[in-house]
Amino acid sequence: MKRIIPILLCACMLLTLTACGGRSADSAEAGKLVIWHDKEDAVIAALEACLSQAVPELEIVFEKKTSLTDSLKLVGNDPNAAPDLFLFAHDKVGVFAEMGILAPIEPLLEEGALENHLPMTLEAATYKETLYQLPLYFETLLFMYNRRYMQDEEVPATTEELYAYMEANTGRGRYGFVEQHSTAYYSAAWIHGFGGSIIDDAAVPFPNPQAVQDALKYHLKFVKLMPGETEYATVNTLFLEGKADATIGGPWMVPSARAAGIDLGIAPMPMVDTTGKALAPYSGVQGVHVLKYAAEKKTDAVKKLLTALTDPSVGTSLALASGCAPANALCYDDPQVAGDPLVQAMRATAEIAVPMPNIPEMDVMWTVVSNLLTDVNLSGKDIGESFQSALQQAESLIAGMQ
Amino acid sequence: MTKRKWKEGFGLTALNLFFLVLCFATLIPILYALSVSFSGSNSLLSSDFSFIPKDFTLDNYREVLFGEDITVWFRNTVFLALTTVLLSLTAAVPAAYCFSRRRFPGRRTILKCLVLLNSFPAILSMFAIYRLLRPMGLVNTRLGLILVYTGTMAVFSLWNTKGYFDTIPTEIEEAARMDGATDLQVVVRIVLPLAKPSIITTALQVLIYVWNEYIYATTFLTGESKYTLAAGLNALQATEMTGSWPVFAAAAITVSLPVLVIFFLCQKYMTSGLTAGGVKG
Amino acid sequence: MSRNNKDTLKSYAWSAPSLMLIALMVVFPILYTGYISLTNMNVYHWFDFTIVGLSNYARALFVFDSGFLSALLATVLWTLVNMVLQLVIAFVLANLLNIKKLRFRKLCKTILMFPWAMPGYVGILLWKTGMFNTQFGLLNQWMEKLGLAAVRWLSSDVSAFISCTVVNLWLALPFMIMIMDGALQSIDRSYYESARLDGAGALARARYITIPAMRPIIAPAVIITVFTTFKQFDVVYLLTQQAGAKTGSGFHTILTYAYENAFITNNYGYSSAISVIIFVLLIVFSLKFQLKEDAA
Repeated sequence: MKRIIPILLCACMLLTLTACGGRSADSAEAGKLVIWHDKEDAVIAALEACLSQAVPELEIVFEKKTSLTDSLKLVGNDPNAAPDLFLFAHDKVGVFAEMGILAPIEPLLEEGALENHLPMTLEAATYKETLYQLPLYFETLLFMYNRRYMQDEEVPATTEELYAYMEANTGRGRYGFVEQHSTAYYSAAWIHGFGGSIIDDAAVPFPNPQAVQDALKYHLKFVKLMPGETEYATVNTLFLEGKADATIGGPWMVPSARAAGIDLGIAPMPMVDTTGKALAPYSGVQGVHVLKYAAEKKTDAVKKLLTALTDPSVGTSLALASGCAPANALCYDDPQVAGDPLVQAMRATAEIAVPMPNIPEMDVMWTVVSNLLTDVNLSGKDIGESFQSALQQAESLIAGMQ
Repeated sequence: MTKRKWKEGFGLTALNLFFLVLCFATLIPILYALSVSFSGSNSLLSSDFSFIPKDFTLDNYREVLFGEDITVWFRNTVFLALTTVLLSLTAAVPAAYCFSRRRFPGRRTILKCLVLLNSFPAILSMFAIYRLLRPMGLVNTRLGLILVYTGTMAVFSLWNTKGYFDTIPTEIEEAARMDGATDLQVVVRIVLPLAKPSIITTALQVLIYVWNEYIYATTFLTGESKYTLAAGLNALQATEMTGSWPVFAAAAITVSLPVLVIFFLCQKYMTSGLTAGGVKG
Repeated sequence: MSRNNKDTLKSYAWSAPSLMLIALMVVFPILYTGYISLTNMNVYHWFDFTIVGLSNYARALFVFDSGFLSALLATVLWTLVNMVLQLVIAFVLANLLNIKKLRFRKLCKTILMFPWAMPGYVGILLWKTGMFNTQFGLLNQWMEKLGLAAVRWLSSDVSAFISCTVVNLWLALPFMIMIMDGALQSIDRSYYESARLDGAGALARARYITIPAMRPIIAPAVIITVFTTFKQFDVVYLLTQQAGAKTGSGFHTILTYAYENAFITNNYGYSSAISVIIFVLLIVFSLKFQLKEDAA
């Protein structure tokens, strides 16, 4: 009796271990495609509606995945745990292509299926001369203002005008202009405005060091007139509560601004006086990536799905549903899309915007640049020294990737 | 005499007041969430905050309770939590008893090693655990998750119960054994009732860990029908661009309530100290 | 089989389920991390990694520069401060909560457990945005009402350290109070009665009865908490170092430091080597700690 119990206990555990182990084998039904995403509900609802019309024979499941990229790194190509496709911005293309889990897109499409796509979107999604993402839409940051406080004729055309406006309208709990000043994504616009960049195609960090430092130095006086916090929630709330007259934000801010009853104006990015260049934000191209095994095992279904997604009607309904700018140029022929000021502003900004680098090395630069920015903007450290240490950190991190 | 009484009364009032203030202080961030969860405007932040919500509404709770698959998530969580607690205790109690009462080669070494094992930073364990579960076909299954949870809490459960067993005098057990009781009978009839506070604290710790764990749950489980409450809650605020703070706050409060109720109920059983048992003095 | 061997076997058989679980979920990941640390597994060799020997360790040593040393010191200080505060506060509160005449004792205990009942990240988020935020946080709203200047709570090293400590205590105290409360229940009331008859005061009773009796019971939980505090990542990272929401504080624990300087490289071999080194460091620390305990 005494000896039986521990044996029973062990046996029980082993049994439970094996009992459920047999499961899971062939969930790979040919007509079912799982797509991971991290998008707003409106975008997914629009996509689902389009696809259920275009390809009713496919069972397409959208699964919202928190920390999508981390999960993908973990499950990689495992057919039991990984999705068949995922919908994400183009900046991780390099990482996943190097990992070897992405399938090239072009062989899965018919000839000429992409000829109407805006060249910028295709370039953004291309890594080492291979297209790894089917672009659906793109987004950039925009200059937004609250018409209640900033009149249309007050909208600054240059950064100095912006500064003058900020000086005149900041104080006593109000701000003339707010942005997420110490995050890499937002301050990239300033760095680009000075002709600098965070990393180049050859993975050299800060290829033009002087421009970056000039941008930091110039930007600092703007930061002094902004709140000491750089996160989204603070900036967003200040603008939505009418405590900040203008901001730089993404299209995702628009629905909440409209809900808050703000008479929202959208303007081109101001130009840097000294360089004559406009603040050029990063643009992100959102699109569908195909995992390798899905491309091999479910070729037909994937092909059907991708073909359906290249149809201009998809982009049109996405634009109408959530104000994103479609990647397919034909969508802009639709009068409603053409009439949407938000979509038009994004398309105009896209002319100057810089697609986020998609090389794997960019992954570490986000951290390096935000460290540099917090050092300069929030801790008040010397620009030259902070820049040198950031450069050093960038080099050691990039070396660390190999 | 009256002076002493007065002094005692004063002390007691001070004590009650102290705890009143303390409880309030502890609750401030939660009251904040509570106020946000009842408010209509979509903002966690506001420049003129008050603990009484502006434009009071129950919509956020309605959305939490009826909008998402919260009943499914709740069922998943309860299943996971109960199984894990049960499995943890079944595994830990006999082991803890052995390590507390018996002397065998390797005992001290194992005990020491167990503490040290705790110092491994868990950030990278995830990858290894994934590699372990995959060949067993346990990725994306509840059983896999239960194993992960039980294993993660095993060291704690073993240690915590063993520590308590150590303090229970052996005299009663010896007496029982003289009367011909088997090991099993001794453990079930004598040791377990005496160790109740420790069993309950251990079980609670395991329960709360499972209840609130979301990292493994979101990475190892795919599909909303398999989500736990914590994983669902995490998905609610996943993208700050789209997340609705009031709904999130309402969800956070809703998720925490069952744990508090369980805690409240368990307190009754924690008060059975040694005095209720046998040996005195 | 001799009786001795049989007994040993029996002990192991009873402990097997627990030990097996630990072997699978705790020991195996450590060993596996050790194995990965010897390979070149990174973005460029995700599936086809090979063993490269100790080269990851050689490179990892470069990360252990002055920044790492100061992070290590900060971590030790962080652990010390947090543990001392936690033990003292929890001890006092648990004792006070056991005064029979306290009204609503049960309710009090339950309310004090609230922070523990929430997922950790929710609590941290509430503190960050609800309390510490410079624009909207309650703390600054109160400062304003008192006519004081707004404070950037999380932006300097010292105030970030204090703020993180407050949040960590808020999160960790409930568990400690509960463990101590459970331990207090086990102390035989008759000891106190005889001590009182002997004329011992409250302090003497705490020192000669409560503490010695509690020690063995709470020791495991305390030791485990020491490690949890040492390894603390969420509190510090989410409050001050989160990408996109950095506050300008330079306070790093070894884990947040390692995270920023290695884990984000997606180089698993290299990150694993760093993890192993941190693990060894922690073991060295805990051995020292244990030796002191044994001596005391």
